[in-house]
Amino acid sequence: MLLFRSEEHVDRWCATRHLPKRPLVTLEQLWELAVAWYSNRLTPEARRPVGDEIHEIFDRLGLTDPFWRI
Amino acid sequence: MVSDQELRHHVYTATVELGRPPFSGQVAAALGVSPSEVLEGFRRLRERRLLYLAPDTGEVVMAPPFAAAPTPFLVMVNARSYFANCVWDAYGIAAALHSDASIEASCGCCGLPMPLAVENGQPVATPGIAHFAVPAAHWWDDLPYT
Repeated sequence: MLLFRSEEHVDRWCATRHLPKRPLVTLEQLWELAVAWYSNRLTPEARRPVGDEIHEIFDRLGLTDPFWRI
Repeated sequence: MVSDQELRHHVYTATVELGRPPFSGQVAAALGVSPSEVLEGFRRLRERRLLYLAPDTGEVVMAPPFAAAPTPFLVMVNARSYFANCVWDAYGIAAALHSDASIEASCGCCGLPMPLAVENGQPVATPGIAHFAVPAAHWWDDLPYT
């Protein structure tokens, strides 16, 4: 996953690689994803989210497109 | 015999200290076990999607959000620097360390520098947008590409 200056730059990147444009994520959403995924990662009992926990995180952030289903 | 939980926690503790995920030999020496036992543990943690390994050596390539090799995402935090696997992971390093951070990043299209920062537990407002090329269900099919 990559960072872009703007949606126009996403469009250009996708076009030059003949790749489909996917749902965009704001930097605010990305930060919340980072907190949800990683804020306990350094603790002894840490684990990554799984299954419905992942869907709950995506749903909470408004990432509801089928693209986000696992 | 080292448990997977102990092994995983040591990998992360060492990563924070070293600036990159440790090699199996370093982990073996620290935990008093054989390198082959460590590599076997790495493989189990890979199966649980907690580490990503080099296919040829079995060494840790990614201890998400930390990267073992240089990437376009350099995170400076607590007077240390770490490479992140992607921009999500760049924020993830700040989140994991519960610290402010300065992040060197660039536009995936044109390469223009796009510095990011985390201050007081929040991202500093910056123009920019993230694009995931791979659907969530397939992220671990080829994690470096994702």
